[in-house]
Amino acid sequence: MGLLDSEQGKRRLLTVEIPVIERYNEGRDPEFRIRVAPVGGTLVLRYRLKPGHNIYDLETRLLSSYPTVPPETRVLTLLKHCPHLLEGQTLCMWRQGSTRAASRWDPARFSSVFAVQAAWRWLACYEVWHESGEWPLPEAK
Amino acid sequence: MAPAGSQVRKGNRELIGYSQFPGNGMIHVFQVGAGSGGMPVLDMLVRDRRIDRVTLVEPDEYKPHNADRHVFPHSSAGELKAVLAEAWLKERRPDLEVNLIVADVLDTACQPEIEAAMAVADIGVCAVDNEPAKYHFDALMRKHGKRWTLGEVLSGGIGGFVHAFLPGGPCYGCVASHLKRSIEVEKPAIAEYSQPGGAVKEATVPATMASIHAIASLHALITFELMPPPQPSGSGASPAQNGLPFTSLLLTMKQVPDLFDEAFRPFRFRIARSPECLVCRAPEREVASEDLDVALHQAFARLGHE
Repeated sequence: MGLLDSEQGKRRLLTVEIPVIERYNEGRDPEFRIRVAPVGGTLVLRYRLKPGHNIYDLETRLLSSYPTVPPETRVLTLLKHCPHLLEGQTLCMWRQGSTRAASRWDPARFSSVFAVQAAWRWLACYEVWHESGEWPLPEAK
Repeated sequence: MAPAGSQVRKGNRELIGYSQFPGNGMIHVFQVGAGSGGMPVLDMLVRDRRIDRVTLVEPDEYKPHNADRHVFPHSSAGELKAVLAEAWLKERRPDLEVNLIVADVLDTACQPEIEAAMAVADIGVCAVDNEPAKYHFDALMRKHGKRWTLGEVLSGGIGGFVHAFLPGGPCYGCVASHLKRSIEVEKPAIAEYSQPGGAVKEATVPATMASIHAIASLHALITFELMPPPQPSGSGASPAQNGLPFTSLLLTMKQVPDLFDEAFRPFRFRIARSPECLVCRAPEREVASEDLDVALHQAFARLGHE
């Protein structure tokens, strides 16, 4: 029972996710557009971000139980080990029960493009951390 | 041969003259979950003679550790909770018709059976602890235009919520988004109603049976509130007249610094349906069920080559 094999999941993709991805891609440099591919029971978004000086390749996976569970985003470009980075260069972005609105995944308000934007914000923090040694945003609580 | 419950049910209908719900009459409850919280809800509900039929969806086996907070004894370990639940209910209501679906409510293979039962049910009761199942139950209830209730005990038994949903009203996504619950609802190692959503092992102090039953009682009471009162046929009563002045009820059961100022304090939330809710808002463009696969295939083709 999942995103790609249930009517509910397919409708979410067609009425929410696909339109926002197409809006994100509209007028954007082809190199920075989101590409989408179904892989097994998941949907994989591949894209490139440039939050500051550097360009990063990323992958966001919408798991079978998406949008109830948050998407998983990992950076494909090699990073230095840093705070808020999990195994496999997966970004630590959502914390259930967090008191910070942007740190608590909300299926009623967030789409996959919100996750892409959150990854951009994470990478901007990474670049600041890389230069200063300090993560500029507070911990999710 | 029809079960005894079915025959009695038919007899009661004719005797009392009730028509199908909505209106008046015998009520078919569709419940998901017969865990430590779900079972007392179901037990309390079926003591009401308006309910003559129950469909229960529950896949789990009863484990020895369940006995700490469950109504079933240690000696029942190893049996299916659904089967134990049916026996429990039949002991108290021999006339009750009980239909079991021994499956996870998210099981793809069982969706036709689940939906068929849901379509003919009158009211839904959700007593599961994981978010995907709650959202799925919500989607099915909205699809079939059914009213339903959901109970959630917070980790450690510090409090609990009961939510009531009506067709056309806010969905579970609207409610969860509005409440912005900052309380820990991580995944438990053992699926239990006592820790909705949540966490594995170390996580939290488990809720006590007393706190689980306190919320279960509220859950049953609020479910009763969504049912029509028994009245003679043709009196004009309709379920729309039965309503609650709130969507969600929170009862604190412990004082928790920075969270609950005092124990045993109720809070009532009236939550509107959000027009922006990504879970229940009307789509800009409707796609017929039979066209979903083609539309999705075309979208992937477009976005795969960007």
